[in-house]
Amino acid sequence: MENTSYDIRQLNEKIHQASAFVDLLNLELGKVIVGQRYMVERLLIGLLAQGHVLLEGVPGLAKTLSIKSLSSAINGKFSRIQFTPDLLPADVIGTMIYNQQKNEFVVRRGPIFANFILADEINRAPAKVQSALLEAMQEKQITIGDNTFKLEEPFLVLATQNPIEQEGTYTLPEAQVDRFMLKVVIGYPTKEEERMIIRQNLNPQPSQKINPIIQPADIMKARDLVREVYMDEKIERYILDIVFATRNPEEYKLQKLKPLIAYGGSPRASINLAMAAKAYAFMKRRGYVIPEDVRSICFDVMRHRVGLTYEAEAENVTSENILSEILNAVEVP
Amino acid sequence: MGKQIIVKTLILFAILGYGLGSQAQVQVSARTDTNRIRIGEQVKLILSATLPDKGAGNVVFPQLPDSFTHWEVVSRTGFDTSAANGNKVLQQTLVLTSFDSGSWNLPALKFDVLSNGAVTDSAFTDSLLIDVGTVEVDTTKAFKPIKAVRSVPWSFWDYWLYFAIGISVILIGIGLFVYFRSRPKKEVLKPTAPAVPPYEVALLALRQLKEEKLWQQGDVKQYYTRITDILRAYFEQQFNIPALEQTSEELLQHIKPVTILNQQRDRLRDLLTIADLAKFAKLTPTPEEHERALSQAFEIVEWTKPAVEKAKESEKANDADAGKTEGAGN
Repeated sequence: MENTSYDIRQLNEKIHQASAFVDLLNLELGKVIVGQRYMVERLLIGLLAQGHVLLEGVPGLAKTLSIKSLSSAINGKFSRIQFTPDLLPADVIGTMIYNQQKNEFVVRRGPIFANFILADEINRAPAKVQSALLEAMQEKQITIGDNTFKLEEPFLVLATQNPIEQEGTYTLPEAQVDRFMLKVVIGYPTKEEERMIIRQNLNPQPSQKINPIIQPADIMKARDLVREVYMDEKIERYILDIVFATRNPEEYKLQKLKPLIAYGGSPRASINLAMAAKAYAFMKRRGYVIPEDVRSICFDVMRHRVGLTYEAEAENVTSENILSEILNAVEVP
Repeated sequence: MGKQIIVKTLILFAILGYGLGSQAQVQVSARTDTNRIRIGEQVKLILSATLPDKGAGNVVFPQLPDSFTHWEVVSRTGFDTSAANGNKVLQQTLVLTSFDSGSWNLPALKFDVLSNGAVTDSAFTDSLLIDVGTVEVDTTKAFKPIKAVRSVPWSFWDYWLYFAIGISVILIGIGLFVYFRSRPKKEVLKPTAPAVPPYEVALLALRQLKEEKLWQQGDVKQYYTRITDILRAYFEQQFNIPALEQTSEELLQHIKPVTILNQQRDRLRDLLTIADLAKFAKLTPTPEEHERALSQAFEIVEWTKPAVEKAKESEKANDADAGKTEGAGN
């Protein structure tokens, strides 16, 4: 094959080499996490595409273990915040405390000063605390008193929501949910996977330790490379078609979806879909994006960005159903 | 002694005087409109009570049962109140009949006079004698048969409602008939067989692409886009695979059930891979690869041609069989 576009070949090779750590990372995480490859893959997409991940799943699906293991494999700092109704913003970001010896106020940093944050059951805390976290996610800096602190990079927030208990929760508003790049819905492991989990937990010998595979600085370099992944204008148009079909389905011969959609994806949806597709291509060790990449992460990027009408809810139509219809109607380039 | 006689005499006169006074206050009467009826005929019994307008209290009329000796009450009116000479006159009319012949006595009827809610006096009417006669039968004449049913003269107004309903139904029927006849008829879309079979369309498009010499002019991306689009459209029309909305990987998965296409799987994979690289990775394949991509597309379409023709022939044969069966049945 003659290469008239030398840059792409170089880039492809560069990415092929640079993304080798993904396989190593998967192998290392596989030592302690059985199954849940989908979730781990999405966590990596979030990490590489500089997005945050909202995870929805019943308790006991190794959410904490996954992010903790990922943090260890990247040699990052991990902290977990259990969101409760009485949590205060200061409990998350930190506060000023008075030091009697020095006779001055000093900053006491909150748990948000870490590379990997697990915001467990984010919808249990009131809006004020949620806003504090979401602001930090967006700005990547914290202001305590007169001091502004930049958050450590890489900075990945994995927030969880329990879909089965809604009593006494503060549902995240659409504007806040939109700040998460991905909303990942995880299910139970398979029977075989669960058998392995039982064995692993009943093993009298302590479980294997996760060794650092790469350093946070390597992740930062990988992030730069992800941005360089080539995206053809055909792919850009495909992304736009998908996002616009959520806003104006009738323009894509999907008139039946019009009464089911309250609002479609925002421009942030298009940006995130493009970024996540690039990260996915990187993980597949490619220097360019193909339609498969877009389709693979489309549900996770878009499911929380398509608002449903009461009619859709009454008919048990989910945003996944709507996205399936759209993907089946929009022509692939 | 003399004093006692005077006192007793005065008390006696006082009592008598009071009694006479009370009787003079309420006057009651009963009369009939006739004192001779034939059996089954009706007689009106008019009961009336005259009370002074002030201070006489009230009067309770006699309650005759619906049937009493020789008499039956057919109907009774309400109480009619009128004024006459400063008195209040209450009146009730009862219609009586009797089915027993003879002279029958209507007994004296009792009116109770009420004052402050208590019966203070009573008054009675006179009894009345009424003759109830039978119908005289002239036995010298012959018995006549029962008269036939009389026919009522026909009148339009007895049946106007039925006429109105009937006419309305007819008018609605005519209206609906006119409406359905006159409304614009929907065009019946007749299934039209495509003028050219899909594989011929695909071959034609591929030949046209070859003649256009796109890659020779440097439009490599467009060249591969056209090749894959022609193939996808062909798969969609010929094999009902929604190929235009599927990615390369999905398409390779979806051709699995179509055996004849699946036999070309590797060739198709090669073609789609190189096309994806050209379309999305800015890579320019060699001229040999360009030629090979087009010839692969031709080969895939040509390979599926016998299957398409075979399917068509079996379809025709099925139709012919069905026609024969129908003919035999007739």
